[in-house]
Amino acid sequence: MSDENMLFATEEQQANNKEQEVEEVATRKYLTFRTDNLLFGIEAEIVMEIITNYVVTCVPMVPSYVKGIINLRGQIIPLLDMRQRLNIEPIDTDCIIVINVNDVRIGILVDAVSQIIDIPVDTILPVPQHNAQKYVSGMCNMPDESGTMLVLDCSLLLAD
Amino acid sequence: MANNGDSILEMYLYETNSLLEQLDNIMLTAEQADTLSQEDVNEIFRIMHTLKGSAAMMEFEPLMTLAHRIEDLFYLIREGTMEIIPEEDKPKLFNLLFKFIDYFRGQIENIESGAPLSNDIDSFVTIINTVIDKINGTGAKKEESSESSASSSETDGVGGYPYTLHIHLDEGCGMENLRAFMVVNDVKECCSDFVVEPEDVDDSSLAQTIAKDGFKLHFSTAVDRENAVKIIELMGFVKSFEQIDNNSVAAEEQAPKKDEETKKEEPVVVAEAEPKPEPVVDKPVQRTKKAAGTPIAAQKEAATQGHQIKQSLISVNLSKLDQLMAVVGEIVITEAMVTASPDLRGLEGVKLDNFNKSARQLRKLTDELQDISMSLRMVPVSGTFQKMRRIVRDMGQKLGRRARLTIIGEDTEIDKTIVDAISDPIMHIVRNSMDHGIEPDEKMRIAAGKDPEGEIILSAQNTGSEVIIKVEDDGGGVDTNAVLAKAIRQGLANPDAEYSQREIMNFLMMPGFSTNTEVTEFSGRGVGMDVVKKNIEAVSGVVQMTSEFGKGSCTTLKIPLTTAIMDGMEVAVGDSIFTIPIQNIRQSFKATKDDIIYDAMKGEMICKMDNFYPVLRLHNRYGLIPRAENTEDGIFVWVETSENSYCLFVDELLGEQQVVIKPLPSYLNTFGIKESGIVGCTILGDGNISLILDVSNLISSDSGYAMF
Repeated sequence: MSDENMLFATEEQQANNKEQEVEEVATRKYLTFRTDNLLFGIEAEIVMEIITNYVVTCVPMVPSYVKGIINLRGQIIPLLDMRQRLNIEPIDTDCIIVINVNDVRIGILVDAVSQIIDIPVDTILPVPQHNAQKYVSGMCNMPDESGTMLVLDCSLLLAD
Repeated sequence: MANNGDSILEMYLYETNSLLEQLDNIMLTAEQADTLSQEDVNEIFRIMHTLKGSAAMMEFEPLMTLAHRIEDLFYLIREGTMEIIPEEDKPKLFNLLFKFIDYFRGQIENIESGAPLSNDIDSFVTIINTVIDKINGTGAKKEESSESSASSSETDGVGGYPYTLHIHLDEGCGMENLRAFMVVNDVKECCSDFVVEPEDVDDSSLAQTIAKDGFKLHFSTAVDRENAVKIIELMGFVKSFEQIDNNSVAAEEQAPKKDEETKKEEPVVVAEAEPKPEPVVDKPVQRTKKAAGTPIAAQKEAATQGHQIKQSLISVNLSKLDQLMAVVGEIVITEAMVTASPDLRGLEGVKLDNFNKSARQLRKLTDELQDISMSLRMVPVSGTFQKMRRIVRDMGQKLGRRARLTIIGEDTEIDKTIVDAISDPIMHIVRNSMDHGIEPDEKMRIAAGKDPEGEIILSAQNTGSEVIIKVEDDGGGVDTNAVLAKAIRQGLANPDAEYSQREIMNFLMMPGFSTNTEVTEFSGRGVGMDVVKKNIEAVSGVVQMTSEFGKGSCTTLKIPLTTAIMDGMEVAVGDSIFTIPIQNIRQSFKATKDDIIYDAMKGEMICKMDNFYPVLRLHNRYGLIPRAENTEDGIFVWVETSENSYCLFVDELLGEQQVVIKPLPSYLNTFGIKESGIVGCTILGDGNISLILDVSNLISSDSGYAMF
């Protein structure tokens, strides 16, 4: 194989690689869950695990949306109630999504976890300014037309 | 590679620091005795030599030069003994050395913090040089004689080291300098007191010279040399060696044997000229040496003692020990989880003999493991205590007060992190004792019927669960009225309120409080006791100050032995479980409604041991729903910290348990949970979480009691 050919081949390969990369960036995995008829999505990357049936230890002198702390295999993890964070009447539920945001582990209490789904990045649209939700950074229609997903911004969720 | 460099630097810092500490100790005892014994001089000389060598290795030029000059100075002193220092100059010499130590320490700190070294050593060197010149002037005669002896023995010996070993290496063995260095290193293992000629045998430029002329080791005693010979005999690449004792000192010691010795020398030289001679052992000389008896026996004893000091130690990174502690903590919890597993409850009536036996064995082993892993982190407090001698001395000199420091129980061992944490507080307390405690004038002391020399007693005691460190002085004590007046002036105290002795003492530990009217080098800024309190509380210790006006004062630090694992009392309030550190609990008791006394603000109080203490109902404080609403149903826990004492009302006591403290998730700290009286949490045997209460913050942060 001559040098020129190799050069050519490499270039072509590079072009191919680029295309693939672009495709990969184009979609992102989201974990969707329901809280009070709202469909939220969290980036799957930051989700550590989904747990149920944990004993919650209440912590005094904290806002009501902090349910308490749980013992996850020796690690102490604080627990946020998604409903109370959104000022919605709490219900009895035990489905917890453990996420890791900037090395802070935290559990989020939700009504129910739905699925993991690939969302093309360009279908995520900004939230209309008038309707801007506090912790939502974008929204998009579900590919299977089952509804509209609100993209949860976890760093906003943890901020005061 | 960078990592490697760091570890060399770490070693250097460690070594240099310990040498400086050693030097400090020698100087302090020497100053008390007002002279340096020959042993001390030798020791200082050796320390300087090592300091110089390692500084040169690390290329810290100024440090090397400085150590070198001091080494020169002590070379002279060693030659001429302390007599060459005129009586009136002795304090100057001591001060010079103390200054040197401080300067060196400062530089080492610079290195530690990555700051550049200061090159400003000229003034220092000048001072040293003047001292050296002075010695040379006064001891001119002595110098001449020693110099002449030095010149006469230039090739054969070095002053003070009359017993020489001349070593030749195998021809063509290569890297002669490094091989010579190996010999030197091996010999170092059996005796430390010898001089090598040429000095830097490992210098590659000397390889040729060593190959041609060999190299020499000069020993101060024949016994050392004997030991060295035993080692050198075993080395493959040593072709031959000869023993020469012809120094004038040896001659003096061995005057009658002198002829024999000088005669002996000749055959040895001849033997060396032969191509492959057997190792020459100077037997007759050895025998006479042994016959000399006692002094050598003493030397030998000293040598063996020196060996004992060399313990087999390894240095381990503290973070690894922390990891070990964390794992052991987990094991302790897991063990409790297994042996108290809820599944076992379903097996009632089933024989569990074997299980119980194994469980007991497991508990025994985990307890042992826990003890050992904790003991790994234990270091004696002596290092910290010894540093205080220096502070007492320096301050005594500057303030013109005489005081001695008595140290009791310096071999008490405490956790390394705690040692680090208490070092500053002890220093502040000792400074306070010197500055405020000990009377400024001896006459005042004599008038009060005390020993004119003040005394500060620094003691450490291990009570099993905590370490008690006390700093006592027999000075003037604290004038509580003056303190209270000052506190009122500063707005810290309410002029209309009555304060107990203890509360007044607590004002001394408030930030910014100082009874000194002017700021001095040592105190007056009002940070000292505040720092003490902060640092001690950071390791969950307690500070107590007591004082009797005119008789002296005493500061007591109570520190739990280790901070990671502690004894706690589990208490229940409603559905929640809290842990109260045992060290804070004075008593628990039942009480009836009639025992409760109310103040004007509906605050509750209870009378215990002729004193009134506030009552804090935990469920009110935390807004919990209690199971024991009535006073009669619950139980009171009388808790105490360095600053307050009150009764906590809880539903019930669940029992005592050893718990591993885990920090709360950082997310919760954003809500100021620490200020609300929760310091951490722990995992119980059944996997549930219990919150650990911070008894002092619990009440001081409660709005209802903040008024006090």
